[in-house]
Order: sequence, then structure tokens, then C-alpha cells
Amino acid sequence: MLEPLTRPFRYPKYTLSDQGELRAEGKRRKGQRAKNVRGTLVRIFRYLLESPGKLVAVLMMVVVSSAMMMAGPFIVGKAIDIHIVDGKDGIGLTLAVLIAVYLIHSLSVWFQNVWMIDISQQTVRKMRAQLFSRLHLLPISFFDKRRHGELMSRVANDIENVSSTLNSSFIQIVTSVLALLGILTIMIVLSPLLTLLVLLVVPAMVAGMKWITRRTGKLFKDQQRDLGELNGYIEEALSGGKIVRVFSMEQKVKSEFHTRNARFKLSAFWAQVISGFIPKLMNGLNNLNFAIIAGIGGWLAVKDVISVGTIVIFAEYARQFTRPLNDLANQFNTVLSAVAGAERVFEVMDEKTETDPPGAIDLKQVRGEVVFSRVSFSYEKDEEVLNEVSFKAMPGQTVALVGPTGAGKSTIINLLSRFYDPDDGIITIDGHDITKIRRDSLRSHMAFVLQEPFLFRGTIRENIRYGRLEATDEEVEEAAKAANAHSFIQNLPDGYDTWLEHEGSGISQGQKQLISIARAMLARPSILILDEATSNIDTVTEIHIQEALRRLMKGRTSFVIAHRLNTIREADLIVVVRDGRVAELGTHAQLLQQNGFYADLYDHYVRGRAVAQ
Amino acid sequence: MTKLLPMLKPYRVSIAVALFLMFVELMVELFQPFLMAKMIDDGIVQKDLSVVLSWGAVLIAFSLIAFAAGIINSFYAAHVSQSFGFDLRERLFERTQSAPFSLFNRFPASSLITRITNDVQQLQNVSFMILRIMLRAPLLVVGGVVMAFVVNVKLAFVFAIAVPLLLLFLLRVMGLAATRFRLVQEKLDRVNGVMQENLVGMRLIKVFLRRQHEMNRFFQTNDELKERTVSALRTTETAMPVIMFVMNMCVIVVLWFGNLQLQLQGATVGDVVAVVNYSFRITMSLSLVSMIIMILSRARASANRIVEVLDACTDSGQGEKTSVRIARRTGSLDGDIKFDAVSFRYPDTRMTVLKDISFNIKDGETVAVIGATGSGKSTLLQLIPRLYDPDQGAIYISGYNIRDLEERFLRDHIGYVPQEVHLFSGTIRDNIVWGKEEATEEQIMEAARDAQIDALIRKLPNGYETVLGQKGVNLSGGQKQRLSIARALLRRPKILLLDDCTSALDATTEARLLQALKKYQCTTLMITQKMSAMMNADRILILDHGRLAAFGTHAELLESSELYQKIWHSQMESEERRHA
Repeated sequence: MLEPLTRPFRYPKYTLSDQGELRAEGKRRKGQRAKNVRGTLVRIFRYLLESPGKLVAVLMMVVVSSAMMMAGPFIVGKAIDIHIVDGKDGIGLTLAVLIAVYLIHSLSVWFQNVWMIDISQQTVRKMRAQLFSRLHLLPISFFDKRRHGELMSRVANDIENVSSTLNSSFIQIVTSVLALLGILTIMIVLSPLLTLLVLLVVPAMVAGMKWITRRTGKLFKDQQRDLGELNGYIEEALSGGKIVRVFSMEQKVKSEFHTRNARFKLSAFWAQVISGFIPKLMNGLNNLNFAIIAGIGGWLAVKDVISVGTIVIFAEYARQFTRPLNDLANQFNTVLSAVAGAERVFEVMDEKTETDPPGAIDLKQVRGEVVFSRVSFSYEKDEEVLNEVSFKAMPGQTVALVGPTGAGKSTIINLLSRFYDPDDGIITIDGHDITKIRRDSLRSHMAFVLQEPFLFRGTIRENIRYGRLEATDEEVEEAAKAANAHSFIQNLPDGYDTWLEHEGSGISQGQKQLISIARAMLARPSILILDEATSNIDTVTEIHIQEALRRLMKGRTSFVIAHRLNTIREADLIVVVRDGRVAELGTHAQLLQQNGFYADLYDHYVRGRAVAQ
Repeated sequence: MTKLLPMLKPYRVSIAVALFLMFVELMVELFQPFLMAKMIDDGIVQKDLSVVLSWGAVLIAFSLIAFAAGIINSFYAAHVSQSFGFDLRERLFERTQSAPFSLFNRFPASSLITRITNDVQQLQNVSFMILRIMLRAPLLVVGGVVMAFVVNVKLAFVFAIAVPLLLLFLLRVMGLAATRFRLVQEKLDRVNGVMQENLVGMRLIKVFLRRQHEMNRFFQTNDELKERTVSALRTTETAMPVIMFVMNMCVIVVLWFGNLQLQLQGATVGDVVAVVNYSFRITMSLSLVSMIIMILSRARASANRIVEVLDACTDSGQGEKTSVRIARRTGSLDGDIKFDAVSFRYPDTRMTVLKDISFNIKDGETVAVIGATGSGKSTLLQLIPRLYDPDQGAIYISGYNIRDLEERFLRDHIGYVPQEVHLFSGTIRDNIVWGKEEATEEQIMEAARDAQIDALIRKLPNGYETVLGQKGVNLSGGQKQRLSIARALLRRPKILLLDDCTSALDATTEARLLQALKKYQCTTLMITQKMSAMMNADRILILDHGRLAAFGTHAELLESSELYQKIWHSQMESEERRHA
């Protein structure tokens, strides 16, 4: 019978040291604390200052509304004293003043809100745009090092956070400070003695708040951590749903979920309980204040030291007095978390961008002679990915890059397109060191067809035109025809205007590949970079793709990360990469003769065939 | 939202206590102006100090009671809301594990995650707030009006008109705001969508020099987002100034009318003071009410999303079918597989993915499954461990209809490697033994060796104890594939299902892997696009638009199947040209 009544008090005591072990298991979460609060605040403020007129107007409105807010009860008190208690005439005038005061109050509140919304949303818009533009200037290594999810959360959540904080906090803080000062002044004017009594409550409030925040700070952090872990676990378990089922691991997964769920509940319970004390404390102190004012004020009124009206308005002010204090305490946390968010956004904006050295040249025409001479490269220090790679491709040749996964094939491509620059050695195009060519100029002569063809949300036509924005509709269709994409596109209900949702959902992988080939075709590059798809493409489409690629590669220097022996055999030059070195170099026939790694590889394939036949 | 209420039943005692405590607090608050009026009228005006002091003591006692009630309420409210949230999460998660797998077709994993965490969190917060302040604000409004009437009917009359009107106004504004915020969310999704797209396609954008193009695209959506946000926020921000103005006008009316009544002896000074005091309180509470309306409408959306998941399994029609029959769970199965006129379409879709498929596979046979994208290969494999059940026809393993087998018993005989590799955070060892935790050291190493990953693991500084990040970020695609193959091999399955899981392996490694698989003597179904793998198989099964196009050995198919010839030639094309 008593069980349900005592249950809320029987949660395990939450001492932070008990949780040490659990914490070690969890992932380290990004610190929510800002590192440079002042610098970041100044920076945010600079955005706000971009519309100085409105900002000043807002501040003025805040002052006006605060003044009116305080004047209101004051006049009410006076009205009670003079007209109601003492029964003097002329209440009409007082009330007219009161009407004006309240009207001005509401209007100024409305204007300050509306203008502040404008300022803050303008700021947020600007931050978003700047961040976006900035992202495009960052080197690709920046994106390789980070997960999209994490970046997205900066762009989305952090900016949202700044947005909502700016909307409310700025006005709130100014209002609270003004209110605090104003109320204090009025209280002192009304009755210094009662003011002193009310202020006696402040130390109690401070002490209480300290007691609470000391605990909640840690508790909230723990709660956040436990939630993060719970989230992570759910994600893991659900995205692996198939194997959970087939491996009959539901029970284990459920019990692991349960553990994390319970852990989260515990920290969340205490965080909620203790942070729930804050309004109660405030309320309690408020009530106490009220009682003190009523009791002692009443006593003073009896002794005719103060008037009844004074007590009434004093009580009202005293009640308002703890509110701005409470608000400021709340705002403090909100602002801190927004500042931390803004800081993460600024961090991205401050990243070093890809820049071209002074005097970098533009290439007008490219024949397509590509030379790697003794190129070495590492992504991380001490982990050499390429070691003195050298080879030479003549204009129009097809170079097949062959080798096991992780050997360095993609790195060669990355260097050629200057997503990264070599640590050592030189890459030249038509005799020019590519690090001395403007990146944009260099890339304007290249086109990519990636293993995972990337399509944007938009129509098929737009996606093909991406290769050359000024291309006419005829040229787009021309390219599609050359890429063997025309016939399938025409068979779609909306043809070239078929709308693709993000990442091209709605058409098959092979069809996406064809569109990306058409796109490259339209770009008319001198140098072509291909990452051959390994799987997931059906045979008929595959034949189309092969054919289209052959057409695309014709007359262009092409670098192919090759998985198909057909492609490799037809290449003018095969570069066999192993452990970051060029192991073998030559045509198919030459390499077979060398009887090395490549010959082995090929043997394997042919033997497989022989067995089958 | 009402559908979730039964879940609060276990906590009804705590809820009652919390509400009672809240009520106590509320009463104290409401009685304060009343007490104050008493103090003024009976004490101060009468110059009776003892009355003033005794009422003052009562006030202090009351506020102490309210404080205590508030603190205790914290415990009960937190207990209820946290337990409610905890139970909801458990229920939802349990659903994801026990519902037919088709649940994942209706709800993508990412959507389930937000439902289990964010949406539950929303409801949890709301339930906490309801038990603490939410009811308070409306009660304060109502209570304030009632108390004002108790004090003086004539003076309070103005509230009877103003408050209902304001509430209507509030509801209207909030409704409008909700619509506008939905539009904001829509735009926000677009902005984030473009951003996401750009992050993923950054290489391409750089190579095609489309920075400016993308920026224009983004700026446009971004501007629209700003416009909509401003308009939505403006709507909500209108509410407060209006409410305050109207309520303040009420104060003025009370003062004016009070002044008149005083002269007519219809009201006392204390009455006027108290009613003015109540009007201040009502103003404050009304602003809380507007916040509450907004929170509640958001909570309702969350509740709907949760109920959707909880209800999903009961109306899909799939699922509990087996319970009718007696499920077989003991004995042993061999790897004989028979499909008998199997047809299947995914729940809630119209397209039939598999049509009338029949074939037999003998124990120990290796079958390559080939066909175009979307021809139903993965679906075919997924029917075997009963991730989905066929709509028509039946599947037999070792002579038993798989519907008559207990799911767990059936799946214990199956090793499955899905197309998208999934690793769990933990060590490499954790990932291999996942699904067979009692495996010995030797068994683990053997599985890893056969999956061609052992040598690589040994090269890692921590070997088998290497910790993998979330989703195994520090391994390459091919390595992850091999790891998940090792996991399946460790179970020594009778039936091994490989869903195109060697795509990222180079030819040599793949060949070694296929060789190693031979000693397992299990029936193997292997989806592949690679000729080398096809030729390693005993027989080849070709799917074409959901139908069984051909099934036979390489030699047979080369003779009889036109489709197979086409595939074969496309692979061999250039070589034959060379021979010619």
C-alpha cells in the first residue's frame, strides 16, 4: 500500500563517483562549454551591430517598456492610496494616465519584439550564408576528417540554437537588468525599511541557487552523456536490425538497451528533481517575502509609518523583484549553450581555406600530358600512403590504376585533382607544375565519374547541365545520347524533367551512373577521372555504361581506378600500385611478360574461368 | 494523445499525490491576496495590531507549507515523468525488436530513433510540466477569477468578459502560429537538405567549379527561411502585448468601478486591493497559458508519432501467424531449401517483388544469385531467415515449412551477411563473437582466417582487442565486409546467405575467401555481380523482374538461357574479340 507513495524517494542516491566506471565506457562527448565566451559574444554582437539603427531602437523600446512596466503598479498604488483609501476625487485623470502608460507599454513591447526578430533572423541568415560559402572554400581534407553528421549538426542545430537565443535572450537580459535596477530604486523610494527586509531574502536565494546549480551542472552533463549513449545504442541496434534478427540477438540487444535506458532514467530523474527545486525555491522565497511585507508592513501601517497603498504596490514590486533574478539565472545557461554553439560555427568559419599561391597561372588549353615524378604523400604524419610514385601519361591515353584496396589508388586521384598536395615530388600537366596552376583553372579541365554517382535534388536535365551550366537543351540531350542515357530518360514519364529527390532516389544505380557520365560528357574535359563501379549494376545497364565510357574516354587523358579486367586490358598504361609504391608499370601484354603481381592477378581470373568452362 | 494515457496507470498514486501537492501550492497562492485583504480591512484599517500579526503568521505558515509541497512535488512529478518516459522507450524499443521486420520498411531507422528519443523526451517533459505548472496556470486563471468573484462580484465582473475573450484570442493566435511554424520547418528542412547535399557532393562541386551556383541555390532557400521565420515569430509575439494591454485595462476598470462602489458602499478598500492583485496574477498566468498551448501542440505531434509505431505492427497483418501453429524448436536441420510458388510484395506497396518462385537447393550446394538491380535478389535471401514472410507459397528447409519452425531455432541454422555491412561499437572480437558469445579462441581465429581478415587483425596494434568506432569507422569497406563474414562463419551455419558482400574485395582476396568457404559444407546462397564468384558456384540462379529466369549450372545456362549468355558475353566480350 505504501509502496507507490515511497517509490519516488527510493531512487538510488546519485553520487557522481559511483558513475565513474560507467562514464569510462561511454563515448566522450563534445564539451558543451564554450572556450572563449567573451570573444564569441563580441563576434555575435558584431553581427547584431550591422543594423545599428534597429538595435538602438530596440534598446530604446526596452527602456521605455521597462519604465512603463514599473510605472504601472506605482500609479495603481497611488490611485488606491489617494482615491480609494482617502476617497479623494479626480480618479479620472489618474486612470487616463494609467491608460496611456499601459498603451505605451504594450506598443513598446510589440515593437521591440518585432525589431529584434528582424535583427536576429538577419544575423542568423547571414551566419548560415557565410558558413555555407566558407565550406566551399575549405580543402577536401577538412571534409574527409569529419563526419557529415557532425558537420550537419553544427550547421543545423548550433545555428538554430543561436537563432532562438538571440530572439529572446537579448531583450530578456536587458529587460531583467533594467527591471532589477528600476524595481530596487522604486522599492527604496517607497520604503527603505521594507526594501531592506526584502533584500534579506537575497542571500538565502543565492545560497539556495548555489546548492542547486552545483548539483544540476554535473547532473545535466551526466544526463546528456547518458542520453547520447542511449541514442548511439538505438542507432546501432536499429540500423543493424537485420542481423539482430537473423542472429537471434533480440534479447541481448533489449537487455543492453534496458541497461542504458535505466542509467539515463537515473541521471535524468535526479537532474529533474533538483532542477525542479529552483522555481519552488523562488516561489517559496517570494511567498515569504509577501508574508514579511504584509506582516511587517501591516504592523508599520497600523503605526502609520507607511500607507496601505504602499504595502500593496510594495508587495507587487517585491514579487517582481525575484523574477528578473530568476530570469537572469536562466538566461545565463541558455546564453552559454548558444555561445558554445556559435563558437563551433565560428570554428568552421575560421578554418584555413584552400588558397592559390600568388602568381598562379591559368591554363587555357590542355593537351593532357600528365607526369607524376617521385611523388610522395601521407595523410597523417608517419603514415606514408604514396612513396615516390612516378609515371607518365601521354595526351589521350587511358591509365588504369590497379591494386588492392588501400594501396593508394584513390590518393593518386586526390593529388591529381589537387584535393591534396604532395609532400614531395612534382605532378605536371603539359609541363606545368600543378601546384602553380590556379585550382579552379586546373579543375575546369577535368571531369569526374565517381563510383557512387552523386546526383542533386532537381530534374535530370539540371543534373546533366551541372557539367556546363550554359549548355543548351539540345546539348544536354546530345550528351545524354552519347552517354546512352537518352533512351531510358525518354521512357520516364516526365523525360528530362523527371524530378529526382536528394541523392537521386527514384532511378537505379546504373541509371545514375549514366547520368553522371552524360554530365562529364557535357563538361568536355581534357582529363577524365573515373572510379569504376564494382557492383550493384545490372548487366544490361553495365553494357551501356561500358560503351558510354569508351566514348567518353576517347581522345581524353583518362585515369581509371579499374576493377574490371576488360577496362584494364584495354588501357594504354597499367599502373599497379602496392603499399603506396608503383609495383609494376606497362601495358597488359608487357605486364604479363614480367610475370609479377599483375600476372598473378590475371592468372587467378583466367583460372577461375577455365574451371568454370 | 489519449492512447498513451493507460501507460500512466501504474503511477496513478504518484500522480494523485503530485496533483494534490500542486493544488496545495496553488491554494496558498490564491489565498494570499485574500489574506492580505483581511489584514488590511480587519487589521490595518481597524488599527488592530494583533490581527495583523496573526494573519501575518498564517501567511508565513502557508508559504512554508507551499514550499514543502513544492519540493515534495518535485520528487513525485519527476518519478512519474521519468518512469513514463522510461516505459515508453522500453515499449517502443521492444516493438522494434519483436514486430515483424517490415516495421523497418514503414519507418526508416533514423525516424525510429527520433521517435524513441526526441518524441518520448517531449512527452516526458510535458508530463512533468503538467504535474507541476501546466495545470497551475489555467487553474490560477480560473482560480483568480473565482476568488475575485468571491471577494466582490461586481468588481470581478470585468474578468468574466475579458478572460474568455483573451483565451479565444490566444487559441486563435497559437493556431495561426502553429501553421506558420510548420512552414518554417519545411523551409528549414530544405536548407539543411541543400547543406547536406553539398557536404556529400563536395568533391564533385569542387571539380565542376560550381561553388557560385550552389551558393545562389542556398542563398535563395536561406532567404525564404528567414522570411518565414520572421513571419511566424511575429505572430506569436503579438499575443503578449495584446494580453497585457487588455488585462491592464481590466485593472483600470476595477479601479474606476471600485471607486464608484466605494462611494456607494458596495465595496471595501480591501476588496479593491485584492481584486487588483488578482488581476496582476491572472495576467502572469495567461502568459504561461500561451506557452502551454504551444508546448501541448508540439507534444501532440510527438504523441501521434509514437502511437504510430506502437500501432504499426497490429495493423500490418503480418506477424503473429505462427503462434496459431505449434512451432518446432528442437532437432536438427540440414541445408535443404525448397521454394514452392513463392510470391512476395513488401507491406504497404503495390509492386510484387517476387513472383511465383519455385526451386530446390540441395544440402551443401553453393548457388550464385544474379540479376538486375531490383530483380528481387536481396528479398529472396531475406525470406529464408523469415525477415519477411511470403504472401503466397511456402519455403521449406530440411523438409519443414519454415513457418512451422520457431524463429530463433530456424535462425540459429543460418549465417547471414547483409549487403550493407553493420558493425557494432566495441572491439573486433566483440563483433566477431556477436551472435555466438560462447565461441572459443580457436573458433574465433578460424572464422577470421577463413574470412581472410585474421592476418590484417594481427597487424593492428591491439589485434583482436582493437576498438572500432561507431559503425567501425577505422576499417575500410572491404575489411568491414570480411569482418561481418567472419561473424556469420563463426556460427557454423547450415545455410549461409551472402548478399553481395564481397563487392569491395579485390580479386585475389575474394578467390581465397571463396576457397575457404568450401570447407564449411553449408548450403550457400550468394548474391554477386562478379563472374569469378558465379563460376565458383555449383549452380546459378537468375532473377529477372521478380521471376525465376533460369536456374542451372554454368554450362547448362550457357546453352539454354539467353539472358545468361548476354551476361556472360558482356563480361567476356573484349576477350573474345581478342581471340578472334
